Amino acid sequence: MTVVPQANAPTGGSGGGSSGLYDVLELVLDRGLVIDAFVRVSLVGIEILKIDIRVVVASVDTYLRFAEACNRLDLESGNKAPSKITDLIGDATESGAHGKTKGALSGAVEAISDSLKGGGDDDDDREPAQRKSSSGTRRTTSRRREA
Amino acid sequence: MSTYIYAILPADRPLNLDGLQGVGKEPTALRTLSSDKLTAVVSEAPEDLRAKRRDVLAHQAVQERLLADGSVLPMRFGLVGPNDEAVLAELDAQADAYLHRLEAIGDCIEYNLKASRDESDLLREVVAESDLVRDLNERTRKNPQAQGDKVALGQAISQEVERLEKRDASTVINGLAPSAQQYATADVPQAHFLNVSFLVPRASAAEFCDRVDEMAKRLEPVFQLSLRGPLPPYSFV
Repeated sequence: MTVVPQANAPTGGSGGGSSGLYDVLELVLDRGLVIDAFVRVSLVGIEILKIDIRVVVASVDTYLRFAEACNRLDLESGNKAPSKITDLIGDATESGAHGKTKGALSGAVEAISDSLKGGGDDDDDREPAQRKSSSGTRRTTSRRREA
Repeated sequence: MSTYIYAILPADRPLNLDGLQGVGKEPTALRTLSSDKLTAVVSEAPEDLRAKRRDVLAHQAVQERLLADGSVLPMRFGLVGPNDEAVLAELDAQADAYLHRLEAIGDCIEYNLKASRDESDLLREVVAESDLVRDLNERTRKNPQAQGDKVALGQAISQEVERLEKRDASTVINGLAPSAQQYATADVPQAHFLNVSFLVPRASAAEFCDRVDEMAKRLEPVFQLSLRGPLPPYSFV
């Protein structure tokens, strides 16, 4: 994981370094409060930022790139089984709702059925899905906002 | 002379602006404009202000300093009022709305998280999950000239990629949301599947960071998480 330096000093504010500027540029330029009656300086010339935002995947160029990458898959990686995110970190939507025992059990079942299905040979070093018990986990309501 | 606005905060908050400079080629001095209940941190607006690296950094440095002392409403870069009087009039006219916003944010800070996944790994999952993709993949490998099949394959992959990335994104969000007060998703940058900001109470920021760290360790090396913060609540104002 990349952690930008001041992440471990939550109350500090000493940053301001330029190394992470790129990461926050979109926040500084695109979010933050505006006052409708006031003007904003022209951002002409920094449209380059926007180019980096991923284009919609629905284009023939993208299709062909995907197809070729897929054709090449086995050559590059053999029969390596894919990682499944829920195997790595559990399905957090269920956290707290079920007890720990059930979580651990169904995690094991998933791991077994995965190895049967995929014939994966490198499942041994994977952790089964782990679920947190509700104790010690604060549940707060989260609100989804579309930016 | 027009007025550049950095942030709005409660009037009763002590401020330390020592050593900070405003935006502009010839850095301007920071000052405050206060109404009854609110203070705006401002400077003179340079004539030819553009979003130069130096200026964006100056804007951000002011935010970080203010954030260290309590909650703040960060302005978007480049906001300019006609003059000081107009800014003061705005603080008065919208006092209730701004105070309400400050209260809603409380003593929270923002963390921005971006996540990516190794593409080969993603494609292997697509192949494992979709009979159609497996079938078309075989056909196009045997017959590389079949452009129609290739496009069909790519299209099928594309749909699956979208579905899986959506699942991956919500799994990551759901794993972290319990440690945050709110979250807001945004446009996803190239080669990533998630760009999300969390609003986290300052008191539990360390716990949130630990949670991200723990998740990152489990996901590596196939998935990469990149955390940036603490930040002023840009995404929640």
